[in-house]
Amino acid sequence: MAKSDNNSPILVARNLHKTYRMGDVDLHILRGVGLKVPQGEWLAILGASGSGKSTLLHLLGALDRPDRGDVQFDSTDVFALRGGGLDRYRSAHVGFVFQFYHLIPELTALDNVLIAAMTRSSVFGWFARRAAARGRAVELLTQLGLGERLRHRPSRLSGGERQRVAIGRALINRPALLLADEPTGNLDAKTGGQILDVLTYFHQAGQTIVMVTHDSRVAARADRQLVLDNGALVPG
Amino acid sequence: MYKILLILRYFQRRLVALFALLAVTLCTAMVIIVISVMGGFLDFMTKTAKNLSGDVVVQRDLTGFPHYEQLISGIRELPEVSGAAAIVRGFGLIKMHDAVRGVYLSGIRADEYNTVTNYRKALHWTSELYLDYFDQLEKHYGESMAESLSRQRHWFEQHDLVAQSMKFRGPLGERVRPGIVPGIAVSPVNTRNKKGEYELWHLSTGSQVAVTVLPITMQGDVSSANIRPAVEEFMVVNEFKSGFMELDRDFVYLPFDVLQRMLDMGEKRDADPETGEYTGDVIPARTTEIVVRGSDGYSLTQIEQAVDTCVQRFAERHDTGTLLVKNWLEDRWGTILAAVQKEKIMMAFLFGVISLVAVVMVAVIFYMIVMEKTRDIGVLRGLGASRTGIACIFLGYSLLVGIVGASVGLALAALVVVNLNEIQDWLANDLDVSAFYMAAGLMGIILGGVIGGLTGLATGRLRKWILIGITAMVTITLCTAFMVLKQNVDLAEWLNEHIRFQMWDPRIYYFDRIPGRLDTVEVTVIMVSAVVASVMGAMIPAWLAARTDPVGSLRYE
Repeated sequence: MAKSDNNSPILVARNLHKTYRMGDVDLHILRGVGLKVPQGEWLAILGASGSGKSTLLHLLGALDRPDRGDVQFDSTDVFALRGGGLDRYRSAHVGFVFQFYHLIPELTALDNVLIAAMTRSSVFGWFARRAAARGRAVELLTQLGLGERLRHRPSRLSGGERQRVAIGRALINRPALLLADEPTGNLDAKTGGQILDVLTYFHQAGQTIVMVTHDSRVAARADRQLVLDNGALVPG
Repeated sequence: MYKILLILRYFQRRLVALFALLAVTLCTAMVIIVISVMGGFLDFMTKTAKNLSGDVVVQRDLTGFPHYEQLISGIRELPEVSGAAAIVRGFGLIKMHDAVRGVYLSGIRADEYNTVTNYRKALHWTSELYLDYFDQLEKHYGESMAESLSRQRHWFEQHDLVAQSMKFRGPLGERVRPGIVPGIAVSPVNTRNKKGEYELWHLSTGSQVAVTVLPITMQGDVSSANIRPAVEEFMVVNEFKSGFMELDRDFVYLPFDVLQRMLDMGEKRDADPETGEYTGDVIPARTTEIVVRGSDGYSLTQIEQAVDTCVQRFAERHDTGTLLVKNWLEDRWGTILAAVQKEKIMMAFLFGVISLVAVVMVAVIFYMIVMEKTRDIGVLRGLGASRTGIACIFLGYSLLVGIVGASVGLALAALVVVNLNEIQDWLANDLDVSAFYMAAGLMGIILGGVIGGLTGLATGRLRKWILIGITAMVTITLCTAFMVLKQNVDLAEWLNEHIRFQMWDPRIYYFDRIPGRLDTVEVTVIMVSAVVASVMGAMIPAWLAARTDPVGSLRYE
């Protein structure tokens, strides 16, 4: 994929439609959603619960396919990529942060971050980049305030610590896009504020972030807000 | 690389996969033990059969054939042959300890016969056994027997009874009749103790026995007025124990020339049947069988073909009737060994089918694991893992379970097969008190597991409290069991009397010890099959894991 310059948007979504069938009823979640995200921007998408925020995020990260429409990353149609291409897009260019952290319970904090780096390498390729990846993981976790908790498994971490590990996992591959789905939704106000501080820190370092949330105070931290209402995006 | 990391971590931390591992372990161990024991049976029977058979036999029916010495000389000259011996076979009655029964008779020249078989190794009574016998007699009867035994003892200390074979004339040189060597199960007084050993108190050696046979003419006729049953008396000089009930119960060895004479097969002058006058011809001596041992480095087929060619040349020169040349498997042993071989294959097949339960258990357990790991799968897909990669995690996990399970199964099977007889002895003799302690220990494990488990669930430290609970309760129950047995002698006696398990009674089965042997090829095939079965069991769960929708799996907590 070609590198974009700082003026052109790094992510463009056009006319996204998504419908879910629930029994005999069709739920039109997204009705022609389009957006553009310039590089280095922090975009917040506000919406009520069930409005389709997570669905939109999953489409942007190619975890799901739209019924109609396309997503362009760096001028490349993401959904024109087949099989392995989509997996590579996600591993190289996208970092996900979920509301419920979704760490792998059997792995330590360090391994939970490293596993994201491992998905980019073959077994032999990993041995060549293992040291560098490990160094980056330790650096990230230390920046996230978890330098003393590298060997701890998620069961021994607090909610805020787990979310910070999840952020480290999302950023280890230096993705162009960080997609955050209600990153503070499962945390108390204070801890949530700490997480937003972490996101702000990385945003100021140049990270492009697309965040979905139902909380306007959380959305206020972003550079720009859009509202997802009745399946369509409107300025916030 | 992430697949390897997850496989190892899941293997280390997921307790539920231990059940899959246990299934693979037990099924592998079960099949290896069964195959090893059946293989041991087959090996034992093959070795036993070969002990008293040559490689090839040249046979005629009971009428026998003449000029056998010439044929033996010709066979001995073949490079494929290392030895040949004549045997006279017949049927007869033996009267031993006032019991009469039918037996197969084999007339042998013991030294010659020993060059083509392991005849001497099959002889049961040795000088050492006799010396033990005399020790027991002296202990039982005291000094009163010491003097009478001393001369006999001196003979056995100076001579090897086995080497004497049919030449044995008794320790005091008292034998006047020909020697006879019956199978050890021919005598009605030979009994075995619980260990399957023949009791020295009932030695048949030295007994007088009578053998009755009916001679057959060269024409196969037994109805001639001149033919009468031949009866001779013998002294038992030893007994042979091949380990094969059929042989040991039904066969008797006699001196070759004696049986030949009794069957009217010795060399004699031809007489006119009407006048009884000598015609001037000599009717040559006959034998029914020649047993041949092959030379090292030749296959059974090569030996058989060489002997067959020699026999055909012999038959062209002499009027011998039809002579059959067979290898030892085609002779009486082939059917018996083939039956055991088929039983082994059938047992392996049946236990292999039963082992399919391991495939089902692995499938069920891995399905549970995949359902539990749906969220992990979604996360991995979000990180860029492919569907194939997801499937490989679970297939690799099952491969590791299979390899470890099969290895532990092999270790368990080897432990059992090597110690099978010791286990059987313990079950038969020492199970009583051990069973009581084992029951106490088991109760401790169950109680401790339940109490510790409930405590662990309440505190969130399940593994720790289960361990503490089991350790504590097992200690308590074992100590209680010890105190109970110490205080209650009646209970200990009752246990001694009633709790035992005789898996293998050597008095019923003819093998003294349960044979078993581990064959490298068979074990390798079983282990590879176990690993393949484990991977096969995980295939459907792995496919389901690959098809998991990441969006659905990540939607909720």
